[in-house]
Amino acid sequence: MSNRSGKAYALTTLCPIRNGHEGNMSFDKITRHRIQLLEEDSGSPFARIPNTYFARLFILNDVFFEQGNDVHHDHLKSKYLVFTSNFHGDLKPYLKGMWDNANDTVRSIWEHAVAFDKVRNSDDFIAYIRKCQLTTSLFFNGSTDDELRFQLKSLYIKQAFSEFVLAHQNKSTSELRTAFNEFMQQMQSDNLNDVSWIPGQTRLSHLY
Amino acid sequence: MNRPLDLYDIQGNICKGYGRFGFPKARYFFLEFHDSGFAREFIGKLLPLITTAETWPAEGLAGKPRSTTNIAFTYEGLKALGLPQRSLDGFPQEFKMGMKPRAAILGDDGPSAPEHWDPVWQGDRVHAWVSVNGQAKEFVEQRFSEVESLINQSHGGVSIRPGHRGPDGNLLAWQDASAVYENGKPTPKEHFGYTDGIGNPYFEGCGNNPQRLAGRGKLTKEGKWAPLATGEFILGHVDEAKEYPLAPEPHLLARNGTYMVYRKLHENVQSFNDYIDNLARDFDGSRDMLMAKLSGRWPDNGAPLTLAANDAEKAELDARMGQLKAKADDGDACAAGQLQALQARWIDFTYEQDKDGARCPVGAHIRRANTRASLETTKEAFNSPSALDDRRRLLRRGLPYGGEHGAATDESEQGIIFMCLGASLERQFEFVQQQWMNYSNDFKLGNDRDALIGANNGQLTDKHIVQADPQGDKAPFFCTHLPRLVETRGGDYFFIPSITALDMMAQGIVDPT
Ligand code: HEM
Repeated sequence: MSNRSGKAYALTTLCPIRNGHEGNMSFDKITRHRIQLLEEDSGSPFARIPNTYFARLFILNDVFFEQGNDVHHDHLKSKYLVFTSNFHGDLKPYLKGMWDNANDTVRSIWEHAVAFDKVRNSDDFIAYIRKCQLTTSLFFNGSTDDELRFQLKSLYIKQAFSEFVLAHQNKSTSELRTAFNEFMQQMQSDNLNDVSWIPGQTRLSHLY
Repeated sequence: MNRPLDLYDIQGNICKGYGRFGFPKARYFFLEFHDSGFAREFIGKLLPLITTAETWPAEGLAGKPRSTTNIAFTYEGLKALGLPQRSLDGFPQEFKMGMKPRAAILGDDGPSAPEHWDPVWQGDRVHAWVSVNGQAKEFVEQRFSEVESLINQSHGGVSIRPGHRGPDGNLLAWQDASAVYENGKPTPKEHFGYTDGIGNPYFEGCGNNPQRLAGRGKLTKEGKWAPLATGEFILGHVDEAKEYPLAPEPHLLARNGTYMVYRKLHENVQSFNDYIDNLARDFDGSRDMLMAKLSGRWPDNGAPLTLAANDAEKAELDARMGQLKAKADDGDACAAGQLQALQARWIDFTYEQDKDGARCPVGAHIRRANTRASLETTKEAFNSPSALDDRRRLLRRGLPYGGEHGAATDESEQGIIFMCLGASLERQFEFVQQQWMNYSNDFKLGNDRDALIGANNGQLTDKHIVQADPQGDKAPFFCTHLPRLVETRGGDYFFIPSITALDMMAQGIVDPT
C-alpha cells in the first residue's frame, strides 16, 4: 500500500477530538457544525489550497458491526475528525499550502482536536498531520496525476470542444477551418491560468 | 419456477394490453371517497363488473366482453377506505408519497411541474382509478353509466372527481382515450406519428401466446429468451432476485396485485413537427429516417433500426415484405413462413451487433427504455447478459388521447395516457425515468436525455447523438436544441388489488394480524 500513485498523493488522517463540551454542545458536535457550514464549490476553502483534486472532512463517531450482540466488539475511545485529500505533488508543500491559504478554516475545524492547541505554525501543522496520517492508497477515480491547473484546462477544452462541434455541424470545410482557428485562439491552450475552470467549479457557462 | 397463475384472481389489465385485443376506446375516471362504509359497499357492488385476466382468443371478438372494467387505489384511497394502519404501513415509501412529491426524481419540472397539472390532481383527493375499455365508444359509455349509477347509489360515499382538461380547455369529469384512427380504422399510432405498443415484457404465467416470448422475455446465458419471473410484475410471486417482492400484510392483500403508474403525457405535436422538419434539412437521410433515429423504430410500420438502419435498407425491407405478402396471399405456404419469420424480427433482436449505435443510436428511446442486454459490455460479466435490465422492465398499458379536433398544435389536447405496471415503482418505473430517460451515465452519453420524453429545454447541449459507424467515413449527427416535446399533465401511483383483496376490502375484513 502506498499513498502515492505517480504524482498524485492520497492523504488520509484521523485526528482524535477531545472529549468535553462548550455549553450543551460537545466538541465533536461543534466541529461537525462548522464543517457543515463550509462553503461549497468554488467558494470552498479547499478550492484555495493549491493542487487539491478532491478533499473531504467528516466526523467518525464509532465503528459499526453487522454481527449480533454476542460477538466481542471494539469501539473507538474518542470521536475522530477525518480529513482526506487527493492532490498533486508532495505532502509537505501541500500542507504548507493548506496552512497558508486556508488558515482560518484549519484553525476553526481543528480547534477541538487533541493537542492541536500546540500547533503554532506551518511546521507544527505538518508534523501534527503526519502523526495522524494513515497509509491507505484511497485514490479518487476521476482524476489523473497531473497538476490541477492542467487538469482543469483539459476539462475546459474538452467541454468547450464538444460545444464547438455541436454548434458547427454541417458547416463547409472553409467555414469550419476559420471557426476552428478562432476557437483554438480563444482557448489559449498554453495558458494554464486563464480561459479555464477555476478550482471548485462544477458547471461551465455555455460558450455558444 | 412459479406455480401457474390464478388468472381469475388477477385484474385483466395486468396480463393484457386491451388495445391489442380489439378494445381501441377507453375512459379513465377517478373517485373520491367520502365515507369508508359506503365506499366499501360500492366496491362490493362493482366487483362483479371487474374484468379478470382469464385467457381470451388473440384474434376476433368472440368470447370477449364488449367492455372491460378495472380499479386501482392511491395510498390516500386505501386510507380513506379504512384499511388497518399496519397494512398501510407495509406499502413502499414512493407509493405512500404519491407522484407529485417525486417530481424531482421524475424530471417533472418547468412546464411539467405539478402546479401546472390538470385540476383533478390538485390536492390529495384522488382515491381510486377506474378504467373502462371498449370495443367501441358506445360500449364504453354503457359501462360507464353502469358504474355511474353504482356511484349514485352510494349515499354520497363515493363521487367522481372532475377536472381533466378537455379539447377546448373545458374541464371534464373523465379522461377519454382512444387509438389513433386512420381511414376509420384503429391504428397502433401515437400523435407524433410513430407506431407504438410493440415492445412489452413476457413473464411466466402471463397467459400470452408463447410465440410472443422471443424479444420480450429475458436473455439467458445460452443466448435464449426465457420468460421473466412473475414477481417482477405481480406481488406474491418470486421475482428475478428469487425473492418475494416487498408487500404489505396480510399476504392476501398483496398477492396477485401490483402497482401502476398513471401519467397524462401531453405531446407538443407542433414543436415536434417543426423540430424534425428543421433538422431534416441538415440530415443525410429522409424525415422518416430521422424520426426513427430518435425512437429506434421506423414511424410507418415500427420496423426496428437493427433490421433496417437507413433509407436504402428500409426500402429493401419494404420491398421484401411486399413480395412475401403477395406470394403468401396467393397461398404460397413457404412465403407465408418466411413472412412470419421476418415479422418476428420486429421484436426478436438485441443490440449485440450494434455496440456503437451505428444502426440504432445508443440514446434512442427504445434502447434506453429496454436495454436488451447491451449494458453487459464485457462478456459474461454478469450471471446472464440481461441481468441489469431484468429488474427494470415495464409493462406498458397506455393509449393515446385527444387529437380528434383537426390539426394538432402544442396547445391542442393530445398525448399518451401512459400507464405502466410492476412490482416496484421505485426500482422499475422511477429508475428508468430518472436514470435512463433523463440521464445517460449508464450509456456513456453524459447528461443527454431522451429526445422524445426527456426534460429538455431547447439548449445547444440538449442533444441526441446519431452515432456513425466507427469504420465508415460518415460523421455522427448531433440533434441539438431539443425542445420539451412531452409534458406531464398529471398522474399518480396506484395499487391494483387482486379480486380476493378487493372482496376483502369491500367486506372490511383486511386483517394484518
Ligand atoms: C408521450 C410519451 C411517449 C412516446 C411518444 C413514446 C413512444 C414510444 C415508441 C414510438 C416506442 C416504440 C414502439 C414499441 O417498441 O412499442 C416506445 C417504446 C417503449 N417506450 Fe415509450 N413513449 C413515451 C413514453 C414513455 C415513457 C414515459 C416510458 C418509461 C419511462 C416509455 C418506455 C417505453 C418502453 C419500455 C418501450 C418498449 C421498448 C422495448 O421493449 O424495446 N415510454 N415508446
